[in-house]
Amino acid sequence: MRRFLPAVFLLLIAAPAALVTQQSEGIFPFDYRLIRLDNGFTAYLIKAGAPGQIAYVSMVRTGSRDEVEEGKSGFAHFFEHMMFRGTDKYPNYDEITSRMGAARNAFTSNDMTVYYLVASNEYLEQIMDLESDRFMNLQYAEPDFRTEAGAVLGEYQQSATTPFGFLNEKVRETAFDRHTYRHTTIGFEADVRAMPDGYQYSKGFHRRFYRPENIVLVLAGDFDYDETERLIRQYYSDWEPGYVPSEIPVEPEQTAPRRRTVEYPGRTLPVLSVNYKGPGWSAADRSAVATQVLGRVAFGSNSDLYKRLVIQDRKVQFLSADFGLSRDAGLLSITTMVINPDEVELVEEEIRRTATRFREELVDGQLLADTKSNIRYGFLMGLETAQSVAFGMIGYVINTGGIEAVNEYYRTLESVTAEDIREAARRYLLDNNKTTVTMVQARERS
Amino acid sequence: MTKRTLLPAALLAAGVLVLPPRSDNVAGTVTLHEPASPFIAFDVWVKVGSQNDPEGKEGLAALTANLLSEGATTEDSYDDILAKLYPMAAGYGYNVDKEMTVFRGRVHRNNLEAYYTLFRNALLSPAFSEGDFERVKAQTLNFLERSRRYGRDEELTKELLYSLAYRGTPYEHPEEGYVQSVRSITLDDVKEFYDRFYARNNIVVGLGGGYPEGFVARVRGDFDALPERAIAPVPKSVAAMPDGINVLIVEKQTDATPISLGFPITLVRGHGDFFAMMTANSWFGEHRNSFSRLYQVIRETRGMNYGDYSYIEAFPLGYTTQQPPINIGRRHHLFEIWIRPISLTASGNLHERTLFATRAAWRELKMLIDNGMSEETFEAARQFLRNFSLNYGSTVSRRLAYAIDDAFYGLGGEGFLASIRPGLEALSLGQVNAAIRRHLQYDNMYVVMITADAAQMKRKLIEGVPTPITYAGEQPAELLAEDELIASFPIQVDEDAITIIGIDEVFER
Repeated sequence: MRRFLPAVFLLLIAAPAALVTQQSEGIFPFDYRLIRLDNGFTAYLIKAGAPGQIAYVSMVRTGSRDEVEEGKSGFAHFFEHMMFRGTDKYPNYDEITSRMGAARNAFTSNDMTVYYLVASNEYLEQIMDLESDRFMNLQYAEPDFRTEAGAVLGEYQQSATTPFGFLNEKVRETAFDRHTYRHTTIGFEADVRAMPDGYQYSKGFHRRFYRPENIVLVLAGDFDYDETERLIRQYYSDWEPGYVPSEIPVEPEQTAPRRRTVEYPGRTLPVLSVNYKGPGWSAADRSAVATQVLGRVAFGSNSDLYKRLVIQDRKVQFLSADFGLSRDAGLLSITTMVINPDEVELVEEEIRRTATRFREELVDGQLLADTKSNIRYGFLMGLETAQSVAFGMIGYVINTGGIEAVNEYYRTLESVTAEDIREAARRYLLDNNKTTVTMVQARERS
Repeated sequence: MTKRTLLPAALLAAGVLVLPPRSDNVAGTVTLHEPASPFIAFDVWVKVGSQNDPEGKEGLAALTANLLSEGATTEDSYDDILAKLYPMAAGYGYNVDKEMTVFRGRVHRNNLEAYYTLFRNALLSPAFSEGDFERVKAQTLNFLERSRRYGRDEELTKELLYSLAYRGTPYEHPEEGYVQSVRSITLDDVKEFYDRFYARNNIVVGLGGGYPEGFVARVRGDFDALPERAIAPVPKSVAAMPDGINVLIVEKQTDATPISLGFPITLVRGHGDFFAMMTANSWFGEHRNSFSRLYQVIRETRGMNYGDYSYIEAFPLGYTTQQPPINIGRRHHLFEIWIRPISLTASGNLHERTLFATRAAWRELKMLIDNGMSEETFEAARQFLRNFSLNYGSTVSRRLAYAIDDAFYGLGGEGFLASIRPGLEALSLGQVNAAIRRHLQYDNMYVVMITADAAQMKRKLIEGVPTPITYAGEQPAELLAEDELIASFPIQVDEDAITIIGIDEVFER
């Protein structure tokens, strides 16, 4: 239980796109340049971070949300693994990037697959050559594919079997009927086990999603604009467009509360997960931004509920609210671990009462102002390294295809009123919109 | 104490050296002034750790730091503190290791005054509220009884490896303590511990980033208000080299088995062989990097698990980060191999797969020692580290923490981060191979695994029969031939050198 500092999550703001844009009114202190190629490929070049370093971040607007076919959950993530298996031109991706001493990795979630390298800028062209090549020309043989499936199962075993991995799976299954948010990013276990047989499917996955219209490069760091733009045109212009968006099933409107108790096959205190169906992410929609603020003022670390349940009465081990919003309408989640197993209902009642209160009353003006300040400083505190600046762009890029929405988001945030927050509560914090999952410890096995 | 001017790794990389004026030179401080930075980083080092826990009160150092970090002060209740930190999006936290306690924080310069008041009060004016104490103690017990035993087995095997290797020394118990010892800790114990160790002569104040003129002297002055105490040094913990192979198997219902193996080494930062061993270890098992040998053999080629790494310094919570940990200064370390959970990725027997992976790692270690590195692998590893180590000091908080660690290890000059490149440049292949032979061996090993049906695993270990594996797909003949060698690689374990415990006994007493 070594404690780390509270994670500060980073939202970035930038001036509107032009060729080279100087920072204007916003708090984003960096210049950037936008490049759009004829094939639809987009790159943002942001001057930020320490001298000599670059963060090269390729953001694919495809994630487990796109896994629409039966039996293929977890495939976006699996495919991310395959992207490290090399090409005909560079069969030894790992060896080349390790000689650069690049910090490199990738991750997948609901709406995205993100690949990154952080390295000295002397390697910029080499990185661009490698990255454009593997995005366009990935090659791998079936035996390698099968081997990698083993590593993915290993990853499943060490993450999906933890209490919160387990709970996440159950919450999604219960809350959604049709939308692909029904499954986790790692996928259902049966699907993960069937992955070795999905070689042909994986080829199609690359053809459909790894196309220039679906991928945005954010390069943050220390580089020359003109030279970098020239390189981007050189390395990415030949990429054939052909992105085929998934037809993602629409989730029918929920009309009644849902409730489920699940047994975790290990030790845990009861965990209560209360989820409301929320809106999709938007920078312009005041109601959507107000919903994010609502999560903090009602259930966040400075809320009355938190002070009562966590600090004063010590009914719960923790209370966390995730009102982060996804590309499509997803869940607004409140999760808490109850200390006394007999008090789960009492804690649930407290959460219910808080939801009622925010539907009826206006939020305190100081709390609202402090929350806006928290979000603003959260953004500023994230602007330290080339990597953190680039990563701060991910949400905007994935949801909108660019970083221009950052500006709009902060304008909207500033305009959010107490009435907007009450309106958001009235719209989303409703019983008929709610899925409650309680995770308890399974009965003792001999 | 130590004065370090701006030397961010990336500036070194770019060949840019900016040396700001040396304005602070205050005893009892480590400073890293970067005037252009909009952030101010704090890293306050208290020279106390879990090695100072009294017997029967294991976990006291951690609980004390936890309460300071997450409790009321004489000025503010804990919820008022959170309310005041909230608009700044700032916070502070603690880390307790065997020998070090640190309190770290970071704030935007616009909020420095308000933030510093809270940070200072947390350390210098704690309220020791009963309610806060009960809260953090309950959280710790929940972690010990449930999260650690039923959360991440792979982290637990690492903890158990240290406990096994350092048996009978002040390093033996985990920083968080045991279930029973934490239960017995009272608020008075915490107050007494604070009074004993949070003394002005036992604290080093680390400050980094864009702090204003005079700030260092002011902060140090505030900490000098603490009393001075005579504090007896704790004798160095030294793990005994096992005589042969010493195995701990934890019995637990699980479908996947992580393995940790290791043995004591006499290598710490500042040792003449440190960069040689850093290079060898990087090639052999660089943390979460796919080019390393262990990863290639076990994961990349055979797809047996998610990753396989080795270490010459303790690396807690490795699954959370690619960067080395900071403020884990220890006078003694293990050489450690971490094999992430092995599961049944093809038909067969999980114990045999587990032993196959263990044998593969062991065999690679033997080959490293017997054959050494080649000119080619040496150059590749050196080139990797030369560049990759620039990431170690990526933020002002990390650079500052490294400077604090330099103070711990007594490293003078420009410090550890700045000495990596010259240290690597000065190496020869001969030196590296000599260092490998001096520090590594493969006859004696502590081994920890968590698995179902521990008794069967024990039988397999004693029998020492080959443990072959199968694959989901076709494999080349060359690979299958190597597999035969791995499957029968000898591991001789005596029956009485194997201990089995149940998961609910783990760190109980």
